[in-house]
Amino acid sequence: MKARLLAICALALVAAPAAFAAGSTHAAKTVTITMYSSGDVNVQSLWQDHIIPGFEKTKAGRHVKVNFIFSEHGINDGTTLARIGAAVKQRKWAGFDLIDGGVANTLALDGLNQPVTKATAPNLKHVNPDLLKPVKGAAIPYRGSSVVLAYNSQYVSSPPKTLQALLDWIKAHPGKFTYNSPNTGGSGYSFAETVVDSTLPAATLASLTTTSNYDPSIESAWKQGLSLLHSLNPYVYNNGVYPNGNQATLDLLAKGQIWVAPVWSDQSLTALANGTLPSTIKLTQISNPSFTGGAAYIGVPKTARNKQSVYKFVNYILSPAAQQQIVTVMAGFPGIDIKYMGDAIKQKFEDVAANSLRPGYGTKYGNDFKAQWQQTVP
Amino acid sequence: MVLPPVAVITVFIGLPVLAAIAYTLGRADGPNSVVNLFAQRQHVVKHGVTLAAYRDVLGTPSVRSDLWATVWITGATLSIVLVVAWGIALYLRISNTRVARIVSGLSVVPLFIPVVIAGYASLIFYSSDGFLRTVAYHLGFHNFPTLGYTLTCVLITQVWVSIPFGVLMMSSGLNAVPDALIEAARDAGASLPRTVVSVLLPMNVIPTVITATFTGIGVLGSFTIPYLTGPSAPNMLGPVMSNFFGAYGQVQQAEVMAMIVFVVAIGLGTVYVWANVRAQKRASVIS
Repeated sequence: MKARLLAICALALVAAPAAFAAGSTHAAKTVTITMYSSGDVNVQSLWQDHIIPGFEKTKAGRHVKVNFIFSEHGINDGTTLARIGAAVKQRKWAGFDLIDGGVANTLALDGLNQPVTKATAPNLKHVNPDLLKPVKGAAIPYRGSSVVLAYNSQYVSSPPKTLQALLDWIKAHPGKFTYNSPNTGGSGYSFAETVVDSTLPAATLASLTTTSNYDPSIESAWKQGLSLLHSLNPYVYNNGVYPNGNQATLDLLAKGQIWVAPVWSDQSLTALANGTLPSTIKLTQISNPSFTGGAAYIGVPKTARNKQSVYKFVNYILSPAAQQQIVTVMAGFPGIDIKYMGDAIKQKFEDVAANSLRPGYGTKYGNDFKAQWQQTVP
Repeated sequence: MVLPPVAVITVFIGLPVLAAIAYTLGRADGPNSVVNLFAQRQHVVKHGVTLAAYRDVLGTPSVRSDLWATVWITGATLSIVLVVAWGIALYLRISNTRVARIVSGLSVVPLFIPVVIAGYASLIFYSSDGFLRTVAYHLGFHNFPTLGYTLTCVLITQVWVSIPFGVLMMSSGLNAVPDALIEAARDAGASLPRTVVSVLLPMNVIPTVITATFTGIGVLGSFTIPYLTGPSAPNMLGPVMSNFFGAYGQVQQAEVMAMIVFVVAIGLGTVYVWANVRAQKRASVIS
């Protein structure tokens, strides 16, 4: 750790004068924006090897240099959050102009991000406006991942197309379906939420997903859906075994122990490409209602510098060219509506996607939902 | 000389524990004001204390069954480990053959295998397409039970992981019994079982108590094994606490469960202290 810190300091010392030197020769036209990102190496590669070089080659990005700071698995997220929080409250530059990852969501909810309405990025209108609601309109969804239904085509020739058909299929094929417990991963959570959502009045569902104030009393409406989930126990794998984690579900699918399961689109597409899931596994989306999806957000702190250049970059991120990279590099889901993408992408996601991500519950409702599932279903 | 360690213990262990206790009793001010910002479903009072959080946790049927599962798994692991470790150590003490050495060597192997690997291996071994069921199938048992994702699998893995420590403690305890004492008993005409009960057993009480308490406290607070191999519900309190803390955002409830585990562990610790005090008293009488 110490050695790494030293290396970073040394690098900064060497790089800073170099940057100044470069700036002076280009007659102060080059603007540097600093970006912070965290996550797994696929996120790092997406930015470092694809989106940033792609942007710096465009006309808008020719005079912008993106200084990319990456924290693997978000180990520096806590300190970065504290640093930005303190700086914005004192109205000082925090050292970052664009934030990617979970930090962006927290900043947005705490009111430390620039509201999206102030952004001058034309491509923003291609984003599903519903995805702005969970972050109070202060962060920009740029890629997503949806939960889809995976099935083993060796045993299942015509997969269920609707939620009701899926529930009938589960009862007709005891032991061949399961989902991971909702507290251990988003794919199982999405299935449980989707079943419960199908029993809710539209108004209740709307207040669970869109309003930011938290009122536990409306959670009593979950009862019917949860007892429906409970009634599935005898038909679920091994009389009601719910494995821990998204990966555990994929393992059971790969071994042929179960034939149908809800899975994350990006995780399963990557597994299919790597061969850890056999090619007999196919993906589809159900309807009425569809499974939920989640978006990853970027945010601009209120005290960011060179905001015009930052928004030029944001505009590029939301362009079909950059979104194409997200699809190919990390099997992600485009952050903009799929109708703005090329035909190849449309085809690729045809089976998987309704053309927008259906948002899930707000964080606190989601937490309570996981707790109630644990207490009533298994 | 004593002051620095005492200060370190007070600051880094004593104060956080006090803050946690205050939080479980409903005080969310002072050092708990940060957790108060993001926790949900808290039971908070401004003055005095409340047991509402304890009532909430113990009034939840699923938590009660999780607590019961934790207690019986701990008790069962403890008993099995004591019997097996005693058996292996005794075998090694009285029969110093090559077979005995191989058995005792094998019994220590789990010590060198990380718990995550052991847990995952055990899950695969007992899963519905695992080794055990495959063998049973070929032998004609077509309905052999699947142990993966059950509390039985948790129990088996806990025993597997805990045995090396037990064997090491017991065999070092038994080796400390002088040969002269055993030979004297045998010369006086005592049978082997009689020698074990009257000489080896009383001389080996402390290692037995240490094994029991340390295994018990370890299993009580274990997380990895029940998380990997256990069922969705009921499961041991380790993964349940982590769910309440992270996934459900119910930090206060998670800390209440930690307090309950703490109280049970104190019970086990008391036995350990009592045994040590007794042994010291005896030692001072003899010398």
